[in-house]
Amino acid sequence: MRVRTLVTGVIGADTHIVGNRILGMALEEAGYRVIALGALTPAADFVKAAIETAADAILVSSLYGQGELDCRGFRDLCVEAGLDDILLYVGGNLVVGKQPWPEVERRFLEMGFDRAFPPGTRVEDALAALAADFAGRAV
Amino acid sequence: MNDIVNARIAAPTLTETAIPIEIFHQMRTANLTRWQTGAQVDFDESVAWQRALPPHKQLAVAMRRAHAERRCLTQPRGGFATLAMQKALMIALDREGLADIVPTTTDSYTRNEQFAAAQNGVNESERLERSLLNGFPIVNYGLAAGRELIEAIDKPAILLTGTAMPKLTAEIGFAAGYTGYLGSGIAYTTSYIKELSIEEGIRNYQYLDRLAALYAEHGVELHRRQPGFLTGTNIPPCIAIAIGVLDCLLAAAQGVRHYGLELAQTLHLVQDAAAIAACETLAQEYLARKGYRDVFTPVTSLHWMGAWPQDEAQAATLVSYGGTLAAIGGAVSVTTKTTHEAHGIPTPLANAEGLRMTRMAIYLARDIRLDGLPEYEREKDLIAREVRAIVDKVLEMGDGDAAVGTVRAFAAGVLDVPWSPNRHVKSRVMPARDAHGYLRIFDPGALPLPKDILDVHTDGLRARAAAQGVPYDRDLAIRSVYELSEPLAKLMPN
Repeated sequence: MRVRTLVTGVIGADTHIVGNRILGMALEEAGYRVIALGALTPAADFVKAAIETAADAILVSSLYGQGELDCRGFRDLCVEAGLDDILLYVGGNLVVGKQPWPEVERRFLEMGFDRAFPPGTRVEDALAALAADFAGRAV
Repeated sequence: MNDIVNARIAAPTLTETAIPIEIFHQMRTANLTRWQTGAQVDFDESVAWQRALPPHKQLAVAMRRAHAERRCLTQPRGGFATLAMQKALMIALDREGLADIVPTTTDSYTRNEQFAAAQNGVNESERLERSLLNGFPIVNYGLAAGRELIEAIDKPAILLTGTAMPKLTAEIGFAAGYTGYLGSGIAYTTSYIKELSIEEGIRNYQYLDRLAALYAEHGVELHRRQPGFLTGTNIPPCIAIAIGVLDCLLAAAQGVRHYGLELAQTLHLVQDAAAIAACETLAQEYLARKGYRDVFTPVTSLHWMGAWPQDEAQAATLVSYGGTLAAIGGAVSVTTKTTHEAHGIPTPLANAEGLRMTRMAIYLARDIRLDGLPEYEREKDLIAREVRAIVDKVLEMGDGDAAVGTVRAFAAGVLDVPWSPNRHVKSRVMPARDAHGYLRIFDPGALPLPKDILDVHTDGLRARAAAQGVPYDRDLAIRSVYELSEPLAKLMPN
């Protein structure tokens, strides 16, 4: 089976890097090739990195509440770049304040993310979701 | 003269020495033209506005009084996108939360000087009638809005701005009547930005500290404060204090004589109390070595800055225990969190409750101190030896200059911060919690700590690995990142 490539990073003006780095370590241990863009990454940089590395998925982290503004139009950026079907995940503290998760999730799925993950998601959950989604996709 | 000015602005050599006043005036003029609201700042008028504030709205006065009376003041964080939301928040924190110090946190676009993005956030927040920004964009709003906020409360106000680029925010904030400003060149540059060099971050805060000193020259004492939490993730006291001391020396060199130091709680009662005591002692020790004998350095304790539990009952324990730790440690103020911390920005109600929980805990612990307790005295000595080993090496590397030494030390890894997003920080150092609950250093990277000190760290961590039946490896550090955010069913099963 070929090695899948994942682009990770923390979007926008957000500096919360710790969880993202730990996620990256776990993804690498699970056999993925990880392109880690780090903190404070503009949306366009995720897409650019995905093109350059022929990535299979983009995993966007946001912990500071402004993800709702930063992630608007993310799928459109991918489509414009020819990445119509790339797998898109987003996770973290995605909005300002404690809001009901189903509502927050719907907002991000409507933006074109394939999955959105709530605050406190552990790496095992992300690994399980990736395995399930890649199993359902032709290589 | 113009050549000197241009040299300073264009390609000055970094040193710790105070920015000459004529050059500083040129720098201010250039700075204030970078966004339209900058033109609203008139220094003399701002000094008059500050001097007209009553003493109970001056943070420098409040901190000096609390220090003298051995009280612990409470202060939350808080910022929303629009003026109306921000005003309601600050009033709630003042009246419902009984906050001793009222905050204004700026949003992350403002922190990165993305003022157009911040404006979009304001517009969208007004349209959707909820805040889409994680703070208040004070530069976009400008002077009149800032003054409206100051007039709406009956306490001193502090700006919390998590940025390596504070120059416009500080100008507008001080002019508006904020009497406190949290931020420093080393701490925030290692924690809030990816590309900016340590040198540029230091320069930006030399500007801010020079500005605070200029206000002081005109009879306005402001409370400058160093953000000791760094990346907020298991920072051992010696790293926080070493950087706090260096930031303090940099501020003192610009003329600042009132400089608070922060320490994030490790949640170990003895270690936190020892760190608070050692922090002020060491700051004064190094200030004296440099010939500064009149700098006031109160210490602020911060509620847990790592990952929080989702369960509000568990979170409430961290909030109130944090009040206990601050009071017993003798902190002059405590910065509070809330039961919503795991979910992000709290509501005004939850924020006010966090303040009151903390306040009650402070009341209960107000007369308890650990002086003389052997474990406490031992930990203070350990921290002092660690900090001296690091700071002495940094100053040696800078030939006595704190700014030069800091830049060289980060390049060499002699100064290091765990989990830093900044490319100019090695981030090799890895802390972990040991068998006795102390935060210790698993991997020191290139920190210049003597072997007998490192042995103390290693012994405690090996004891933990043995007790838990796990390997002595990096996972000790990674599990310590998440430990306290785990549910009780995992932490302490029946």
